[in-house]
Amino acid sequence: MLERVSHLNKIWNRRSLIRTFAINDLKIRYRNSILGFFWSILEPLLMLSVLYIIFTNVVKSDIPYYPLYLLLGLIMWNMLSRGTSMGLHSIMSRGGIITKIYFPREIPAISSCITASIMLLLELVVFSIFLVAFQFVPPLTMALLPIILIIEFILVLGLSLPLSVLNVYFRDIQYIWALIVHAGFFLMPIIYRAEIFPERLQTILSLIPMTRILDMAHDVTLYNIIPSATDWAYIIASSLAILCVGYLIFKRFEARVGEEL
Amino acid sequence: MDANAIEFENVTKTFRIHHEKINSVFEHVSNIFNRQNQFERLTVLNDVSFTVKQGEMFGIIGRNGAGKTTLLRLIANIFKADKGIVRTNGSIIPLIQLGAGFESDLTTRDNIILYGVILGFSRKEITEKVEDILKFAELEKFADTKIKNFSSGMYSRLAFSTAIQVDPDILLVDEVLAVGDESFKQKSLEAFMSFRKKGKTILYVSHSLESIKELCDRALLLHKGSVQSIGPPAAVVDAYMKVLPSHPDRKKTDVMRL
Repeated sequence: MLERVSHLNKIWNRRSLIRTFAINDLKIRYRNSILGFFWSILEPLLMLSVLYIIFTNVVKSDIPYYPLYLLLGLIMWNMLSRGTSMGLHSIMSRGGIITKIYFPREIPAISSCITASIMLLLELVVFSIFLVAFQFVPPLTMALLPIILIIEFILVLGLSLPLSVLNVYFRDIQYIWALIVHAGFFLMPIIYRAEIFPERLQTILSLIPMTRILDMAHDVTLYNIIPSATDWAYIIASSLAILCVGYLIFKRFEARVGEEL
Repeated sequence: MDANAIEFENVTKTFRIHHEKINSVFEHVSNIFNRQNQFERLTVLNDVSFTVKQGEMFGIIGRNGAGKTTLLRLIANIFKADKGIVRTNGSIIPLIQLGAGFESDLTTRDNIILYGVILGFSRKEITEKVEDILKFAELEKFADTKIKNFSSGMYSRLAFSTAIQVDPDILLVDEVLAVGDESFKQKSLEAFMSFRKKGKTILYVSHSLESIKELCDRALLLHKGSVQSIGPPAAVVDAYMKVLPSHPDRKKTDVMRL
C-alpha cells in the first residue's frame, strides 16, 4: 500500500514531464500552421459545421434543439475516441525514449488524456459560438457539465492506461479498438436518441457508462434536467471501477514493456 | 565514501526469444490451438553479483553480446531482473544513445525543454538553463529552428549539452565519448571529469581498453553473461585479452585498437 502511494507521488513529482508531453502533442498537431492557435479553434469549428450540415439534413430529427444536441454529443464523443486512441499509441510512439530512460510508464497515457481534454475545452469554446448563433440560453443546470466532464476524464484515463501497454504486446489492439470506437459512435446517443433502438438493446446500451454520460450531458446543458442520484452514482462508480481494473491490467503488463518495445 | 551506489545480488536476466515474433491478439489466439514450444530462453545475465561504491568510476568491458547493455538497463530500471536483486542508491542519469527522446518537428529550444524534463528537471529549472545549453552546444543561431534537418553532430552536441546539466548521483555512460569530432570528444571528457571530481559514481561501458585503464578505479569483465573478472582495470583488461579469440601472432597493440 505504502509502495503504491509513493509511486503515485513519483508520478506527481514528474508533472513537468506530463505537461511537456501534453504541450508538445498540441504543438506538433498544429505544426506548420500560419494560423497557429486559431487553427485549433478553426479546425473543430469547420469539422462540426460540416457534420452539422450533413446530419441536420440527412437525419430529420424531432429531438428538441437537435443541432446543439448533435454538437454536444460529438464533442463529448471526440474526447473519448481521441483520448483513447492517443493513449493507445502513447507508449509505442515514445518507444525510443522509454527503452533508454526510466520514468513512470503511466505518464504517456496521462499526458495524452490531458491533451485530449485541452482539445475538448477548445471545442467547447466552439460550442459556445454555436450557442450564440442559435440564440440559445443554457439553463442553470449546465453548471453540472464540468462534473460530468471530470467523470468522463476518469473513464478515458481508465481505458487509456491499459490500452497504452496492451498495444505494445498485441499490435492489432489498435485495429480492434478503432472498430469498437466506430461501432460506439453509431450506438451511442450522439446522432439520435437511444429510443430508436429495440428495447433489449437499449437496456444493454444503458449499462455502458459513456451512454449515460452523454445523456446526462444533454440533459443538463439543453433540457434543464438534473440527473437522478442513481445516474450520478452509476457513472461515478463505473468510471472508477474501469480506472481500477484498467490500472491493474496496466500494472500487470507494465514490467516487461521495456523488453517488448 | 563507504556506502554502495549500486549493488547486484545474484542477478539473472533471461529473454524470451520467439522463433516467430508473436505480437498480435490473433496470433496469440491461434497459438492456443497450435501449442508448440515456440520460444526459447536466452540467458543474458547469469548470476551476476558486484557492488559499486559511491564516488567510484567503474568500468565494464566485454565482447559484443556479453550483456553490458542489459546490465545498464537493469540499473536504469528499464528492465526488471528475473532473479536476484538490483539495488541503487541515488538518482541515475543514463547517457545511453544520446538524443533518443528528440522530436524532429519541434524547435531546438522545445527539444531542450523536452529532454530536460525527461531527465528529471522541472520546466522552470530547464527553461532557466536553455540559453546556457544553447551556448555550450554552439547552437544559438538555431534556437528556434526545427531540428529535423540537423546533422548527427548537431544532435549529439544538443543532447550532450542538455544531459550534462543534470546533477545525478550515478551516471551511466555507454560509449558516448566515441561520438563526435576530436574537439567535441575533448569537451565531453572535460565535463565527464568534472563529474568525477564532484564525487559522482560513474559506470563506464567501453570498448576502448586504454580509456578504461586510464580512467577507472575498478573494472568488471562480463563474458557470456557472467562475471569473469573484477578488480583493478589493468588486471581485468588482461583477462579480457584472454577471452578474445586472438590469433597467436596478433600483437597486443592490435587488440588495444579494438
